[in-house]
Amino acid sequence: MSLIEIKNVDYSYNDTRKAVDGITFDIEKGSYVTIIGHNGSGKSTLAKLITGLLPVKNGSILIDGLEVNEQNISAIRKRLGIVFQNPDNQFIGSTVKDDIAFGLENKQVESADMEGIIGEYAEKVGLTEYLDYEPQNLSGGQKQRVAIAGILAMKPDIIIFDEATSMLDPKGKKEIKKLMYDLAGDDTITIISITHDIEEVLQSDDCIVLNKGKLFMHDKPQKVFADAEKLRKIDLDVPFVELVREVFAKNKIKLKAHDLEGMVAELCRYRSDH
Amino acid sequence: MNNMVFGKYIPVDSLMHRLDPRAKLIGLFLMIAAVFVPKSWWVFLFIAILITIALLCAKIGIKMIVQSFKPMIMMMIFLLVINTLTIRTGEVMFMIGTYAIYRDAIFNTLFVIVRLLLMISITTLLTATTNPLDLTLGIEWLLKPLEIIHFPTHEVAMMVSIALRFIPTIIEETIRIMNAQKSRGVDFENGRLSQKIAAILSLIVPLFSVAFERAYELADAMEARGYVPGAKRSRYHILKFRFTDYLFILICMAALAVSIASRFYL
Repeated sequence: MSLIEIKNVDYSYNDTRKAVDGITFDIEKGSYVTIIGHNGSGKSTLAKLITGLLPVKNGSILIDGLEVNEQNISAIRKRLGIVFQNPDNQFIGSTVKDDIAFGLENKQVESADMEGIIGEYAEKVGLTEYLDYEPQNLSGGQKQRVAIAGILAMKPDIIIFDEATSMLDPKGKKEIKKLMYDLAGDDTITIISITHDIEEVLQSDDCIVLNKGKLFMHDKPQKVFADAEKLRKIDLDVPFVELVREVFAKNKIKLKAHDLEGMVAELCRYRSDH
Repeated sequence: MNNMVFGKYIPVDSLMHRLDPRAKLIGLFLMIAAVFVPKSWWVFLFIAILITIALLCAKIGIKMIVQSFKPMIMMMIFLLVINTLTIRTGEVMFMIGTYAIYRDAIFNTLFVIVRLLLMISITTLLTATTNPLDLTLGIEWLLKPLEIIHFPTHEVAMMVSIALRFIPTIIEETIRIMNAQKSRGVDFENGRLSQKIAAILSLIVPLFSVAFERAYELADAMEARGYVPGAKRSRYHILKFRFTDYLFILICMAALAVSIASRFYL
């Protein structure tokens, strides 16, 4: 059974154009799904609809059978967390530990239990020695790790990363991506990552391509990128490995692998065979 | 802008830092009352000694307190000028050309200035030794009785806490926008008044726009983490009164008592 079911969802901020236009897809429990598309393609709107930050006016979104609406919103928010793009705008507490505690306070966790939970998740994101730090003394990557710790502490089933690495420097990006891949390895957590990072998409189980609010493609990332022409029609980038494959195909050498190492191995075999 | 001392928290471990924020807030009100009641220089000296002891206990240098006086210097000069021009009672102390300066004008101004300086010292002592979150919890506790008339104490405390949390971020943003505008030729320091107003507008408009954007995103982040205004929440920081807190309040009460008594006996 799917954990998230999205059926014919529409949303428009004004009457001129639909930000999300009749989208339907399912997400399996424990999967790592990436959503790609240009700015304005409806990715963030969709994330806000799933989290209930925007009301679903047309269509329906079900989380583990529970419809996202005003009545169910507090139950749903206990199971779902979202990491936003700008790490500064989601740091609520005055120190790292106060920020992690914020969600726990909303969940009415006993004060005596909080210290242990905060310590556990600060350790998970590698911020144990920064617990008393104020946000202005942390790097972008560290602030984003605090946001992730705050969400993990609430023990969600689903985490949405809304372009969580786009405002970070390369070091911060690397830190957050590693953390995301580690979380993706945990089958109890479903991850939805909105991203422009093609390399990250290749690591995911499923890839959803949105264009002008509509579902453009939904498949395994390798299959999505294999149809490079279709992606080029909407001006989306194609990963380096797919470009290499395309060049070889033009030269009548058909490569099966979708990763760099596999491709190199295949080429070595091809060379020794010929 | 980053060197502003007034209202800045200094994170060190000291006796004053360890006091309960509620005790410090009660102490602040008692001491401010104690500063406003007396008319004797001896009592001002007594209060100044108490503040100096508190500063030593807080491990805060006198230099920081003196720095916090700086923004008030212009106001004090202005006060002195106004008083010397308007107060014309008491004996003449000295003459500036043909203009007489009266004793009451000088002494009344000095009284106000000393009160102001003592008040700033007390407030700086509170903010330097209490982290913003604890201060908010203390304010929330003090406002608790207003809940009877449905005053949203928790929401007000949350707003204050977020405002305090975002001060460094907004200062950073201001500097960034100022630099961006300077690089486009905006001059914030020189020029006529109309040019200065235009320069300030080029700072304020984008600053407000960014602040609103941040506010919306923060609201989304808070909502997504289960925050519902008015809903029941548990507490990470639980405030607890200890012996030293009671002792601190007692000392502040004694200072107020001395101050009131001085009105009758000195």
